[in-house]
Amino acid sequence: MQRYYSVGSNMAATDETSALLRSFECEQNLLSRPDGSANVRQGDTSVLAAVYGPGEVKMSEEIIDKATLKVIFKPKIGLPGCAEKLQERLLRNTCESVVLAVLHPRSGVNIVLQVIQDSGSLLSCCINAACMALVDSAVPMKCLVSAVTCAVMEEGRIVLDPDSKQEKESSAVLTFAFDSRENNVVTCSTKGCYTPEKYQECLSACGAASRNISSFFRQAVERRMSKEL
Amino acid sequence: MPTDSRRVPGPQDSRSPHWYGKHATRQEGDTRPDGRGDHDLRPVYLHAGVVSQATGSAYIEMGQTKVIAAVYGPREIARREEFTMKGRLCCELKFATFACRRRRQHIQDNQEKDGALIVLQALEPAVCLDRFPKSQVDVYITVLQDDGSALAAAITCAAAGLADAGVMMYDIVAGCSVRQCGERQLLDPSVGEELSQEGESAEDHGMVTVGLLPSLNQVSALTLDGHLQQQTAVQAVKTCIGGCQGIYPILKDCLVTSTRKKIPALDPKSSHASTEGQNGQT
Amino acid sequence: MAADFKTAQPVEYYRRFLKEDVRPDGRELGEIRHTTLNIGSITTAEGSALVKLGNTTVICGIKAELCNPTAEEPKKGFVVPNVDLPPLCSPRFRPGPPSEQAQVVSQLMADIIENSGVVALEDLCIVEGKLCWVLYCDMMCLDYDGNVVDTCVISLLAALKNVLLPEVTVNEETGSPVTDVEKKLPLNIRKCPVATTFGVFDDHYLFTDPTNEEECLATGVLTVVTTEDNKICCMHKPGGTALSESRLQDCINRALTRAEEVRKLIDETINSVER
Repeated sequence: MQRYYSVGSNMAATDETSALLRSFECEQNLLSRPDGSANVRQGDTSVLAAVYGPGEVKMSEEIIDKATLKVIFKPKIGLPGCAEKLQERLLRNTCESVVLAVLHPRSGVNIVLQVIQDSGSLLSCCINAACMALVDSAVPMKCLVSAVTCAVMEEGRIVLDPDSKQEKESSAVLTFAFDSRENNVVTCSTKGCYTPEKYQECLSACGAASRNISSFFRQAVERRMSKEL
Repeated sequence: MPTDSRRVPGPQDSRSPHWYGKHATRQEGDTRPDGRGDHDLRPVYLHAGVVSQATGSAYIEMGQTKVIAAVYGPREIARREEFTMKGRLCCELKFATFACRRRRQHIQDNQEKDGALIVLQALEPAVCLDRFPKSQVDVYITVLQDDGSALAAAITCAAAGLADAGVMMYDIVAGCSVRQCGERQLLDPSVGEELSQEGESAEDHGMVTVGLLPSLNQVSALTLDGHLQQQTAVQAVKTCIGGCQGIYPILKDCLVTSTRKKIPALDPKSSHASTEGQNGQT
Repeated sequence: MAADFKTAQPVEYYRRFLKEDVRPDGRELGEIRHTTLNIGSITTAEGSALVKLGNTTVICGIKAELCNPTAEEPKKGFVVPNVDLPPLCSPRFRPGPPSEQAQVVSQLMADIIENSGVVALEDLCIVEGKLCWVLYCDMMCLDYDGNVVDTCVISLLAALKNVLLPEVTVNEETGSPVTDVEKKLPLNIRKCPVATTFGVFDDHYLFTDPTNEEECLATGVLTVVTTEDNKICCMHKPGGTALSESRLQDCINRALTRAEEVRKLIDETINSVER
């Protein structure tokens, strides 16, 4: 069963920000073995996510009052190292804050993220893919989480959803993940140096863009459910 | 060389700058570089209860040698094995990467494994293992800086940690080393003396480390590297024992202080203290 | 009685305290534990610092070695930070390879060094394409009572400021390096990053500098790293409670104040050592 959705989300560009996301595509339920899967493409960046669970968990990792979440992050090339561990931790904690783990005590939910292509904004793409795969796997969730990356260019301009070239030229890259209920910041990870004022600017620009993404997620789920039912 | 994926990687290989430098000229003469006599100990600083998370811990400084030890347990044996009436003592010795002049690796090497074994041998006879069946006590020792006699310092420090943890013991253990350079016997050698070539050609040269149960006056561990004649060896061990006896009062003092701190009633500073409480220790 | 209650109902125990705007260790919500510094105590290292933040203790030793720069970046040296959380520092760590926590903190340190530009890698180059310095910054936790990230950053910065590198020249004829141990030069520290960690409890209370217990009970943590020019060089919030814009701004402001204090402490300690 495959579903394919595409959105070229156009946002009204404000004065200073070129607030355009690259084309955002999401495909759910494309793998047959896992309980849920999703492929999210933001421009040329593409991440494939698979969710297994809730299922059995290793004795040593078992938590008595909730499910154990595990994220495995697979880079496109090379062996995973420390940097990947940090990503895994970030992704796991992000998922943990939206998944209702208390409903599945003593079980495990495994999320595998395979990078297919990295052309910038990788972290936000990973978070979005993980969220869509979780939705597809029907693991109970509090709310959705949507992530947006932005780059602060040398001259101070903010570029949303930058590609790798823009990331390289920028002075800072910030990634935010927002919950879909109150649009508060769940996760934040940044690279480079920036002023607190720029931080606020980036935060509000990303916050606005994340609303678009979460409404897109909602539409995707709605359309799919209407077809299936 | 396989890279360690669990650590931040560095360049493929690198060398200490001292490798290219001129070697410092070694001081020859009767007195030791730091001006003490052949049978003098360096100043010792010993403090128990330094790691808040551990059951017991201790930190020792002997000259520039710095060692910290933490004791955890008695706790459940990690890998479940058969039921044992006797408890188990486990020892791990680690040198910090910056402990020596040459940078050490993160992965445990043979010197550390051997050292851990000797410390274990030194401590085991002192601990009442039958008091905690089917459980284990872990002793983790880290050498923060090695300026000679690190092993001896590790033994003393670990014993103080065990006592601080309240693990039942027959006696405390004190460690001391002697470096034999020909005729000379250097007690508590510094790293320069440990590595010095002096007396290498002589008949007797080597290093002796002893772990002593001071109040029972029994030797619990003995290790000897090098080449020593029988009489010299006996003499060296005797010198070590003398050194250990010298450390014993410091160990006692340190434990009294840490116990006082733990039990407010014994602390003369606290308002609770009674005059008798102060004299209750030996 | 209180101890039993704490063991049985740790969250409720904590809640009772926070209702009164105080923490079980007597601190206010925004209060940071006492910070002590000991710089240059390890003489075998090129630079070293021992930092205590309350009970949490981290020692950082920096060893400098010589190596070849990479072909891609012939003008750059290396800074290799690694955080060790040995079983010595807490019962939660077991012997063996670095735990996930250690790897995460190591990578965070590497990111902070890179983002803040505390050391310009070009400064570590001796001969372009031939010889450069590699600084192995090993941070070892000796007592794990929460908030290792802040403690590690302070120890790293203090140790870097303590580094003295021997002068190295290259012999023209043989092409091999010659070290002059007599002549030692300090490192050029470009920026001074300082981290401040916040914990969130019950999705509502925000407190600074969490202890080990508080970290276990917290529903979220946030680390803000700032430099002396009032810029943010790392903002790390790995999931947990969602925070609003205004609360994040509050954290940033508090981090800026705290960073100022720490920088003052480091400078004072270094001056007192030199005297």
